[in-house]
Amino acid sequence: MADEERRKFLKVATCAIGGGVGLVLAAPTVAVLIDPARKITVTTPTAPLDLGLVEQFRVGAEPRRVDIVAPVVKDAWLAARNVVLGAAWIRRTEPDKIVALSAVCPHLGCAVGWDAAAGNFLCPCHDSRFSVAGDKLTGPSERGLDELPLAVVDGRLQLTWVRYRTGQTAREPA
Amino acid sequence: MTRVIGYLRERGLGGSGDPATIAGGASFAYAFGVVLMFLLVVEAVSGMALAAFYAPSSTDAWGSVAYLQDQAQAGWVLRGVHFHGASAIVIIAGLHLVQTALYGAYKKPRELVWWLGILLMILMLAWAVTGYVLRWDQAGFWANKVEVGIAAATPVLGGVIKKLALGGNDYGNLTLTRFYALHVMILPAIVAAVTYGHVALARKLGATPFGDRDQKAGPRWPDQALRNAIAIAIVFTILLAYVIASHGVGLAAPADPSQSYDARPLWYFRWLFELRELAGRAEKIVALATPAIVGGALVALPLVDRAATRDPRHRLAYLGGLAGLLALIGGLTIASLVADARDDELAKRDAKAEQRAALARKIAREHGVPASGAADVFFAAPLGRARAVFASKCKSCHDAGSKDRKGPIIAPGHGSRSWLKAFIRHPGADENWGRTKLAAKDNAMKSFAQMPPADLDDVVELIYAESGASDVIAARRDHGGSVFETACSDCHAREEGLAGSSAPGLGGVGTRAYYLSFISNPKSALHMGRDNSQMPRFDTELSLDDRDALAEYLVWLRTATPEDLAALDPL
Repeated sequence: MADEERRKFLKVATCAIGGGVGLVLAAPTVAVLIDPARKITVTTPTAPLDLGLVEQFRVGAEPRRVDIVAPVVKDAWLAARNVVLGAAWIRRTEPDKIVALSAVCPHLGCAVGWDAAAGNFLCPCHDSRFSVAGDKLTGPSERGLDELPLAVVDGRLQLTWVRYRTGQTAREPA
Repeated sequence: MTRVIGYLRERGLGGSGDPATIAGGASFAYAFGVVLMFLLVVEAVSGMALAAFYAPSSTDAWGSVAYLQDQAQAGWVLRGVHFHGASAIVIIAGLHLVQTALYGAYKKPRELVWWLGILLMILMLAWAVTGYVLRWDQAGFWANKVEVGIAAATPVLGGVIKKLALGGNDYGNLTLTRFYALHVMILPAIVAAVTYGHVALARKLGATPFGDRDQKAGPRWPDQALRNAIAIAIVFTILLAYVIASHGVGLAAPADPSQSYDARPLWYFRWLFELRELAGRAEKIVALATPAIVGGALVALPLVDRAATRDPRHRLAYLGGLAGLLALIGGLTIASLVADARDDELAKRDAKAEQRAALARKIAREHGVPASGAADVFFAAPLGRARAVFASKCKSCHDAGSKDRKGPIIAPGHGSRSWLKAFIRHPGADENWGRTKLAAKDNAMKSFAQMPPADLDDVVELIYAESGASDVIAARRDHGGSVFETACSDCHAREEGLAGSSAPGLGGVGTRAYYLSFISNPKSALHMGRDNSQMPRFDTELSLDDRDALAEYLVWLRTATPEDLAALDPL
């Protein structure tokens, strides 16, 4: 059956060529589509950010929400200036004791707000509650609010912005 | 009604054909359509990948394309495949048309297939036009301006067409969102529908063998399929090789309506470009009417060539006409390319534009595109804004190399200790006030070349300290205070914001705030005074951002060396 064999060869050759062309087209397509997943596409400043004078925070006052603004963020092709990264809740308990809690809920990343009536923090998404010190009270969050590194230099507050992984007990930078 | 239905039935609509065999047996001549289908798939796949990076906004479009081209891995390959793939479609579609004409495959009952093919050809060209503008660089932007300008010359409807194309009265965000929607949603949907019709009818009616003799039918699978696959592999290999050899497709500097550019259309519109040149004053009419005439002639072909014979020898008049048309298009294309190649001035302008493009892309890669838009990308370079403003507003009066220099030279080291010392010793020197009216004026500052060197160094330190420099020698500065009292304070003041009795106040001289104030209004009493300065005030002419950038630049110059300046990318 020479013709049968010939037909079989033609079929195999057709599929081989077609498959080869498909693979060659797929290779750069896949390469470019996975590229962003391998990169830091949006930068986060590693240097401490200036939040202004310590004196603006009164000793013993309720926690105050402060926007965390990066001077420059490289976002893929864009060099954006004054980008709001998120917010922190800042509380000064003693003249030389000041704490910053990330407003990112450790559960799934919603923005935590201050419930003045209850005197604790409340996440609006899934009702996780945290004490004024950031400890976990009720709700689905698996850990308390994340404290952010804070330093006072020449009377000015310097905060380092860190994003932690959500949805787990352990506190690990994302 | 029955006549219409009968007409359409005869031409392949409804009923079923026999796609298992192919008239005349398998042939490479039948592969053109399949290759075109394959190229459409290539465009779709690469286009989806491009869309995953592209931002259709007038501020971000160029930046997103530059990012894809220069920073995403294999991004340039995808862009190249997409761009040159479109060229391949035009070439193969042209060959497909010639083959169809040669085989007489446009004849009854295949008129609908032929007409849908012509429609697809037009759609392909429109698709290319909508794609070229998306990159929002000088090339795409200016080519689109010309194309829309021609369309706007359409009698009666021109104005409406232009507004609809641009999405308003002028180029902007809505222009891009509109062309983007056309390019990635509307045209693909239309092309898919028309292609389906074209292919379904062609399959139903079967292939048209060459000539009039009866030929034996052969199996479609796998005989024809293998030929199709080989043809696809050959075309794809050539396409890929060309993409790699040419490093994909270029990207000019960001679209800038203020920067002239030698706009050229995509190569397959070159013949129209040349024809338009030849037409002189009738250019717009010619540019509009010619495609209509060519399209009309192709549409009319099956209506006028109605004889049953498909033998080319009996259709020499029609085939000759088509050959003449193609020769004319080819000739005009070559004439246009040759004219450009011979134009030395154009080559110089192109080289300059290319330099600008390379610089814009380098800055985008290293510093990013500013949020104000890609047109401001040059401002993202270190001191970019200041250097650009300096070049356009300050250079002619203040640059050492300027023939028309009227003021003191501003160069690296300006405001440094050695500069201050040289100035105080010879204010009227050529590099200082030598070319201003102050040089000859009696009451302008006199030379202090006779001052004891130690005193001079001390008073220089005092004035240098006003700039806020961090390396001030305190003892020198303090001693400089008493020198100032005896030698300078009759005319100058040192308190912040206070003018001297007959000369500029020197409080904070050399700081960014001081320079900002000086540039804003050098004629203020605090600075040179109304009668002493030939320098115009810039607070009305330059934005606060521009003036502040210049002030920052002057502060930078104090500690900069000529090498530092040379190391910055020329803008």
